[in-house]
Amino acid sequence: MIQGTLDLLILKTLSLGPRHGWAIGKRIEQESRDELQVSQGALYPALHRLEQQGWIRAEWKMSETGREAKFYSLTRAGRTQFDKELAQWERLSRAVGLVLRMV
Amino acid sequence: MQRLFEIVRLRLRTLMRRKKVEDELERELRFHLDRETQENIAGGMGPEEARRAALSKMGGRTRIEEECRDMRRTAWVETFGADLRYCFRGLRNSPGFATAMIVTLALGIGANSAIFGVIDGVLLRPLPYAEQNRIVRFFLSNASYPRFPVNAWDFLDFRARNRSFASMAVMTRSDMQLSGAGEPRRLSGFRVSAGYFGVLGVAPMLGREFETKDERPGNERQAILSARLWRAQFHSDPHILGRKIRLDGRPFTIVAVMPEAMRHPGNAYRPVSYGETVDFWWPFTFEGNPSRRGSHYIEGVGRLKPAVTAEAASAEMNSIMAQLAREHPDFDAGWRVLVVPLFTEITGGSRRMLMLLVGAVGLVLLIACANAANLLLARATGRRREIAVRLALGAARGRLIRQMLTESVAISVLGGAAGGLTAVLGLKALVALLPAGFPRGGDIHLNLAVLGFTIAVSLATGVVFGLAPAIQSTRSDLQAGLREGARGATGSARHLRLRSALVISEVSLACVLLTGAGLLLRSFLNLLRTDPGFRAGHVVTMSVSLPRETYPNGRAVMDFYSRFEARLRALPPVRASGLGSDLPWTGYDDNMGGWQIEGKQPPPHDEFHARYHVASPGYFQALGIPLVAGRFFTGADSAEAPKVLIVNRAMAERYWPGENVIGRRVNFDGDHPSEKDWTRIVGVVGDVKDSPEKPAAEPAFWWPMEQTQGFLREMTIAVRTDNDPPPVVGAIRRVVSDLDPSLALADVRTMDDIAEAGIAAPRFTLFLVALFAALAIALAGIGAYSVIAYSVNQRAAEFGMRMALGARPWDVMRLVLGHGLRLAAVGVGAGMAAGLALSRLLRSLLYEVSPVDPATYFLVALFALAIAALACYLPARRATLADPASALRAE
Repeated sequence: MIQGTLDLLILKTLSLGPRHGWAIGKRIEQESRDELQVSQGALYPALHRLEQQGWIRAEWKMSETGREAKFYSLTRAGRTQFDKELAQWERLSRAVGLVLRMV
Repeated sequence: MQRLFEIVRLRLRTLMRRKKVEDELERELRFHLDRETQENIAGGMGPEEARRAALSKMGGRTRIEEECRDMRRTAWVETFGADLRYCFRGLRNSPGFATAMIVTLALGIGANSAIFGVIDGVLLRPLPYAEQNRIVRFFLSNASYPRFPVNAWDFLDFRARNRSFASMAVMTRSDMQLSGAGEPRRLSGFRVSAGYFGVLGVAPMLGREFETKDERPGNERQAILSARLWRAQFHSDPHILGRKIRLDGRPFTIVAVMPEAMRHPGNAYRPVSYGETVDFWWPFTFEGNPSRRGSHYIEGVGRLKPAVTAEAASAEMNSIMAQLAREHPDFDAGWRVLVVPLFTEITGGSRRMLMLLVGAVGLVLLIACANAANLLLARATGRRREIAVRLALGAARGRLIRQMLTESVAISVLGGAAGGLTAVLGLKALVALLPAGFPRGGDIHLNLAVLGFTIAVSLATGVVFGLAPAIQSTRSDLQAGLREGARGATGSARHLRLRSALVISEVSLACVLLTGAGLLLRSFLNLLRTDPGFRAGHVVTMSVSLPRETYPNGRAVMDFYSRFEARLRALPPVRASGLGSDLPWTGYDDNMGGWQIEGKQPPPHDEFHARYHVASPGYFQALGIPLVAGRFFTGADSAEAPKVLIVNRAMAERYWPGENVIGRRVNFDGDHPSEKDWTRIVGVVGDVKDSPEKPAAEPAFWWPMEQTQGFLREMTIAVRTDNDPPPVVGAIRRVVSDLDPSLALADVRTMDDIAEAGIAAPRFTLFLVALFAALAIALAGIGAYSVIAYSVNQRAAEFGMRMALGARPWDVMRLVLGHGLRLAAVGVGAGMAAGLALSRLLRSLLYEVSPVDPATYFLVALFALAIAALACYLPARRATLADPASALRAE
C-alpha cells in the first residue's frame, strides 16, 4: 500500500463513525472488495500515531460481541485533516491518471 | 489549540501511567486476536486452526507492540531507564571489563579536559580588557630589527596624524626603588603616556589616569599604584590619593590606584611578561629636540576605531612613516610599522606548542575510543546468542542499537566522571609545571567551560566508540547466530577483521605520537648537549640600581660600582666576581648601530650594528665565558687608559671574516673622530646565544665598566664560588648595605636557575608529549593483547589439533606472534607514514634535529613492535598450553 494512504483510509473509515481496530481493518478490506489487505503490523502503529497526533481519539466501549474494545473516533482537528488529505489525494490521483492516459 | 492540549495530555499519560497504557495496548491486541479467531470460526474453521490462522496473520506481536510504543514518541524516556538498569547489571557482572573501560576512558577524557583547561585559559578566553580585540601593539621594523621600539617624536606624529586609532599610547620599563616604607624595595615600574589605561580599557579604581598635561617635562613626579602594591605596602588606605611616596629618593604624588583586574599587557623591550607584573606607573614626558627624533626605547599600544582592522591601521601607519622618512631622512628612513593584535602578541609564541598538545591529547582520546570499541566488541561476541534471540523474537534492530549505545554512553559518562577528577588533578599539575612566565599561565582555572567540555567529550566518546560495535553485532545473520551459540567459531571472521582494523589504527596513532615524542626528545637532548657558552654551576647573580637622587652623575655611579667591585673581590669564598650590563639568557637585547669600523664601509642602506654590553674585569671569569683570543679586561683598563673593547666570536666573524681581530679599531663618537676616540679590540670571547634554542649568537661587544662614565645605573652582579652559592648572598647584602643602606638588592638567583628557565618550555612540551605517547602505546598494547587473546580462544581447538599432530610449542607460538606482529607491522607502517606527513608541523619546535630524522623513526618502529610482541606473548604462551584432548572434546 502506498505510504500515507493507510492514514487516509483510516480517517475515511472513522468519518463514518467510531470503530475498533479490527473493524477498521475489516471495513477497509470489504469496501475494497479484498483488494486492500491491512496488516496488523501496519494498522496498530498507524492508529497509535494518528492518536498521538491528535487526529483521532480513543475510548474503551462495549463492542458488538459484548466485550470491551478500544474504539477510535475522529476529532474535530482530524476531520479538517481528513478533508485536507482527501483533496491532496484527489489532486495526486488525477495528476497520475493524466500522465498514465497520455498518448 | 485543543489538539495541542490533547497531544500533551497523551504524552504525559504515557509517561506517568505507563502500566495502564501498556495494559491497554495488550488488551487492544488481544481483543483483535480474539475477534479474528471468532471470525475464522464463523468461516468454518475448527477452534485450534482458527486461533493459529489469526496468530499467523497478526505476525510478530512484539514488533507491533514496539512500533506502537515508538508512535508515542516518549518511548525513549521509558526504554532509556530500562537500558540503563540493564547496562549497570551487565557492568556489575563483569567488573574487569568495566574497570578496563572506565580507566581507559578516564585517562583519555581527563587528559583532554586538562589540556582544554589550558587552551581555554590561554587561547579561548578574551584578554581582560574592554573590547580587547580592538587593542593592538605597534613596532618599527627593518631588515636588521624585525620588531623594534618606537622613538618619542615619531610616536607624537603617529598620534597626531593617524585616523585609524581611537587612542594610542606608549610605555617603557622604568623600575624604581621604594624607600621610607620598611626595607628598601625595587618596584617594577613603567612610564606611560597620557591615556595609556584608556587604550587598555581599564579605568582606575581610585583617582584619575595621566592626561596630556602630565606628558610635559617637570610633571613626572606622579605615580599610579597597582592594587597589589596598594594592598601590600599601604594597607589599602582609601585616602591614599595625594599622599607622597619616595621612589629612587624623590617624592612622587599618588594620583590613582588601579583595580585588581589590571594586567600588564606584556612588552618586548626589557621585557616584563603579561599579568600582575607591574607595581606602579609614572608619566612618560616628551623632552628634547623634535628634529633629532630620539632613541628607540618606547613601545606602542593602540585601540583601533570600531571596524578598523589591524591591516588597515598598518597601511595607514606605514604611509605616515613614509611622510616622516621624507621629513627626517637621517632618522626615519628605512623603517616600516608593524601592527599586531595584542592577543596575537601575547599568545602567538605559545600557540603552536599548545596546538601540538591538543593534537597529541586528541590522538590519545581516539586511541582510547578504539580501545573501548575493541573491548565492547569482545563483549558483544559473548552476547551474540542473546542478540540473535532478541532479533528473532521481533525486537527492532534500531532499538537494540539504541540499547547498546545507551550502554556505551553510560560507560563513557562513568569514564568521564573519573576523567573529570583526573582533569582537576591534571590541570593543577599542568599549571604547576608550566614554564615560569608562560603567557597567561595565571589565567588558567578550572571552570564551567572545562566541566562542559568534559561532559560533551564523554557523551561524544560514548557514541563514537559504541556505534561500530552496536551496528556490527546487530547485523549478524540470525540463523548463524543461533546455531553458533555462545562459542561462535565461525562467522566471526568479519568480527575479527573489524577488531584487527581497530588495533592497526591504535598502533598507527600511537606511532604518530611516539614519533613526535622521539623527535622532541632528540631535540631536547641536543639542547642539553649544546654548550651554553657559560658555566652555570656555583654562580649566584643579582642586580643593583642606583637612584638619581643620591647618585646624580656618572662619576658618583662609577665610584660606587668601583668600590663595590673591589669589596666583592675581597670576600673570602669568592673565586671570581664581576659586574655587567646583563646576564645570558635573560632576554636582554639592546642594540647599537651607526658606529664605524676602521677601514670598512657598511653595506648600502645598512649600518654596522651589534648588541652592546658592559663588563667589569671579572665578569667573564665569573660566568665562565671562555676567552677565544687576546685578553680579558683588567684593572688597567681605567677611565684614563686607552679605550678598549671585547667582541664575541659572532661579531668577529661577521665584520672581520677570516682576519685577526685583535688590534682592530672601531669608533662610537660620530663622523670625525680624533685619534683618541678610536677603541681598540683587545679580546674575543666565546658566543652565548640569546636563548638556548636560537640557531646562533648575535654579534655583540663589551665596553669595560670603568670606561663607560657611569651611563648604566643598573648593573647585574655575578659571583662564582667554590661551593653552593647561598651563604655568599648574605655577605653581598652586607657589603651593599655597608656602602649605602638605602639600596635594595634585587633579582637574586643562581645561574643554574637561569639556565633551567631557559629550557623550561621545551622540557614542558617534551614531558607532556612523551606522557601522552606512553599512554597511547600502553593503550595500543592492551588493544593488541585483547584481540590476540580473543583469536587464541577462537582457535584453541585448532592449536590443540596441531599439537596433537606433532607441532612443537614454538611452532604455535610463532603462529600467534606472527599474527600479532603482522597487525602491528601494518599499524607501524601506517603510523610512520602519518608521522612523516605530520612531522613538519613540529619543525619550529625542534632544535638541530630534522623532522624526518631516520634514527628516530627506526627506533620508534622498533619500540612499537617490541611492545606489540610483548602484548602478544601472553596469549601466545597460552596457546602453547592448549590441551589437545579437551579442545577436541569441547568441539
